[in-house]
Amino acid sequence: MSDTAKYQNRIELLQGTLDMLVLQALLREPMHGYAIAQIIRGRSGDVLTVETGSLYPALHRLERQRWVKSEWKLTESKQRAKYYQLTARGKKQLAEDHQRWLRLVRAISAVMEPEMQP
Amino acid sequence: MMRWPWEQAKENLSEELDAHLQMAIAERVADGEDPAQARAAALRQLGNVPLIEDATRERWGWLWLENFLHDTRYALRQLRRAPAFTATALLTLAFGIGANLGVFQLLYAVVLAELPIPHPEDVVRIHAARTPFDQSWTVSYPAYQRLRAATPDVPMMATAYAEDATLELPNRAPIRGSCMLVSDNYFSGLGVVPAAGRLFVQTDERMGQDEWPVVLRHDFARTTFGTAQQALGQHIVINGRAFQVVGVTQQRFLGDVTGFPPDIWIPLALESTGAFAVPWDSLGPGYDVHLGKPWYNQPTIFWLSLTARIPPKRRAAVLAHWDQVFRSDREVMAEATADPAVKAALLRAKIGTAALSENGMRERFTVPLTLLMALSASIFLVGCLNLANLQLARLHARAHELSVSMALGANSGRLIRQIVLEDALLVTGGSVGAFVLGRTASSILVRWASSHNVLFAFDLHPNLPLAALGVGLMLLSLLSFSILPATLFIRTGAVQTAGSRAKVAGISQTARQRLRSNVLLSTQVSLSLLLSTMSGCFAATLVHWETIDVGMDREHVLIVRPELHQSRYTDHPEMLPRLYSRIQERLQALPGVRSAAVEMCGGIHCGWITALYVHGRNYLRDVQVHGQEDHVGLGFFSTLGIPILRGRDFSSSDTDRTQPVAILSRSYARQLFGDADPIGQWVGYEPAPHDQKFLVVGEAADARVNGAEREAPPVVYMDINQIPAPVNSIRVRAVGDPRQLAESVRQALREVDATLPVDEIVPLSTELDGDLGTEKLLARLAGIYASLTLLLVVIGFYGVMSSRTSRRRSEFGIRLALGATRRHIQLLILGQTARILLAGILPGALLSVFAVRTASHFLYGSTGASLLAVVVAGLILALAGCVAAFIPARRAAQADPSETLRLE
Repeated sequence: MSDTAKYQNRIELLQGTLDMLVLQALLREPMHGYAIAQIIRGRSGDVLTVETGSLYPALHRLERQRWVKSEWKLTESKQRAKYYQLTARGKKQLAEDHQRWLRLVRAISAVMEPEMQP
Repeated sequence: MMRWPWEQAKENLSEELDAHLQMAIAERVADGEDPAQARAAALRQLGNVPLIEDATRERWGWLWLENFLHDTRYALRQLRRAPAFTATALLTLAFGIGANLGVFQLLYAVVLAELPIPHPEDVVRIHAARTPFDQSWTVSYPAYQRLRAATPDVPMMATAYAEDATLELPNRAPIRGSCMLVSDNYFSGLGVVPAAGRLFVQTDERMGQDEWPVVLRHDFARTTFGTAQQALGQHIVINGRAFQVVGVTQQRFLGDVTGFPPDIWIPLALESTGAFAVPWDSLGPGYDVHLGKPWYNQPTIFWLSLTARIPPKRRAAVLAHWDQVFRSDREVMAEATADPAVKAALLRAKIGTAALSENGMRERFTVPLTLLMALSASIFLVGCLNLANLQLARLHARAHELSVSMALGANSGRLIRQIVLEDALLVTGGSVGAFVLGRTASSILVRWASSHNVLFAFDLHPNLPLAALGVGLMLLSLLSFSILPATLFIRTGAVQTAGSRAKVAGISQTARQRLRSNVLLSTQVSLSLLLSTMSGCFAATLVHWETIDVGMDREHVLIVRPELHQSRYTDHPEMLPRLYSRIQERLQALPGVRSAAVEMCGGIHCGWITALYVHGRNYLRDVQVHGQEDHVGLGFFSTLGIPILRGRDFSSSDTDRTQPVAILSRSYARQLFGDADPIGQWVGYEPAPHDQKFLVVGEAADARVNGAEREAPPVVYMDINQIPAPVNSIRVRAVGDPRQLAESVRQALREVDATLPVDEIVPLSTELDGDLGTEKLLARLAGIYASLTLLLVVIGFYGVMSSRTSRRRSEFGIRLALGATRRHIQLLILGQTARILLAGILPGALLSVFAVRTASHFLYGSTGASLLAVVVAGLILALAGCVAAFIPARRAAQADPSETLRLE
């Protein structure tokens, strides 16, 4: 496998996962990009830091796929910001992504820790 | 002001990222950081904002459009910065593509197009039998009726072209229109639909109507009445008969004979009014032929062409049935010939069919138009080569800029795309010009191909094949002068080397690149030589026919066409000889007139086919010898400048009460009597014992009366004063230019007979050259092409040499500094030019000789003459190339050594 192909694989994996994380962050309420980044960082105990350079392209792609929609609103500190909100399609997508993620985790666990198998 | 949709989106994105930054700062400040430090840290965390924006915008999916518009703006700016290249490219493309479109449209209309009717392949001409004299495929009206009645389910249409008719419209000057007589089922049988009103129905054939129906061709109706609707119901007088416009045909329908669209269609029954002159053939005198009476019940006058719609699978059965029905007509025709072999052949023959396209137009134009298409393709090719070369030179000039772009990280694909886009804009612009030019060109070509005698008209509406060709040529030109050169240039790394400082001694242009542009130039020279040679040969051919000895005084004779087919002349033919002699006397009294004479023939293609029997020649006893017949007045031979070789001319003592006499042309006399003296022999229209009608009194020299390019036919001349009839022309021989006599001749004729209309006055030379349409077309177009390619070669040499010398400027400076003379530098460049020219002229000459040989069918001239054309064309090209290269050479020689060294 060439270097480029490896690189592409990594991006793909990250991208898919990032989508799921973003959608999950938006599950409860609409929020802006900065808050999404904070939430992901906070919930992951500072392990997952979402780069701005990945977050915004991801948000705009999700919007183009109509998994989220956006509107401009004022924050509590009167700052104009773009709020993203999960759509019905987005919710469905999130559920699918979540399922796939769980399957993947189980499968990888089964490979990595065979002694844990019943 | 107009805003692109993404401009708003872009601003929103900036604001979104800015909000992100502000919130990050606010949070850091809230956590107790110093505002300045917080800002710096937040910015660091945010990263490269433009890059993020770019990455985000890519997700929008219309970045390509934005890029495209951006590139387009940039391309337009680049093109504006190189106006000379832009103009050359636009004109080259417009001409190169336009010429091809123009010629193709004509080729399509003449050779490829089908009639715009449903199932045109089912419609065929019916070839029943060849008529005895004209050998045409016409039949009599009774035969048509019987054939049509025999197969009621097969539409069989009859048509006859009439001579051009005079249309009188209310409150307007009379106009002339071409006219066709058609059977009532003509339009319904073909499946033509009206654009307005109705087409013919059965009741239109009723005899003796007070007001006849007429159908107009769409474009004729439009030019005459404004619109098809406005033409409906109009009352017009055609050849003195009252008509009402009942319908207008669909626009694309131009009749069923390619090239000759009738302006008006009228019912067949109009023949019986005698107002329309229709070409005919018959069994000849003595077979119950009464031309003056209606033809619809005369089985021995042949005047109708038949067309039928029969599906191919039924064809054999229908034809077999018609053969039985037509049997009696064959027997009648067979009776009229004495030759047993001809008789047997006549009875044996079967009715056949022919495609509508077999009307001579295809035979006549396919090869010339294909030839023109090939010439047009070569001019397109020359244009593309030229542009490719200019493009390479231009890329070299931009090499520095391009290398900087690449160094800054532009990818080569994007650069190529950028260059190709520039050229795509050029191609688009050029093609718009080409389509306009092509349309104009094809109408001009039709006019050139037409002649004084034959005016063609074709359906020149844009069509799918034409559009396909246009788009194909566009893509081809783009590929050859843009995509290939740009890819070669950028991918082969020419840009990188150009970016370095290695400019001295022409290192910046590798030997291979130089060779490439040299080959392009040489190929251009070859093709240009080919076109020039062809043009020279076509011009020589035209000049040959225009100056060939026609056996007549072609430069000094005027043809005057009076309209004598009016009842006040035709009802009293015995009065005509006196009128003719008064006309002759009056005209000969005019200053500048040497002599004048009347003639039955109005122009070329006129002498009717006749057949003579010779008295007392047993071996010719049953054999008709065909020739052309013409009835002429006194002084005819001296007026035309045709010498009398033996015997005497007609004289005033030959009248309708004396022995009918005839004068034979040299070739007719030879056919009838061999080398024996024809004077005193007897000839007649009918076999013995009626073969003693005319006494041969003279033998005249041969003359090319059917046109300059046709051999002199055998002709028998009769004296019009012995058989008085309306003549179609008066010939006037002038001392100087006959054109200048036209007005005084008209005036003199008015003095003789104020009521005699004169249709037309043309010089004999115009008339004789009338059929040189194809030759004129080839000569003129090839001439234009040759000059265009010559121009392109000049531009090519100038462009390439300029670009080369400007790149070698420092080299020349150093050479001069080292002691080379300016003359030396000039010779260096001219030497290079000469090598390229030679490399182009040699293969070009071979190509030309080959082409001339292939086209020899259209060329008149010896091998020597065409070789001369090659040599002359080669010299002209060499001269043009050298002149074009001389200017850059001079400029190069003026390089200042000190300036060069300073630049280094």
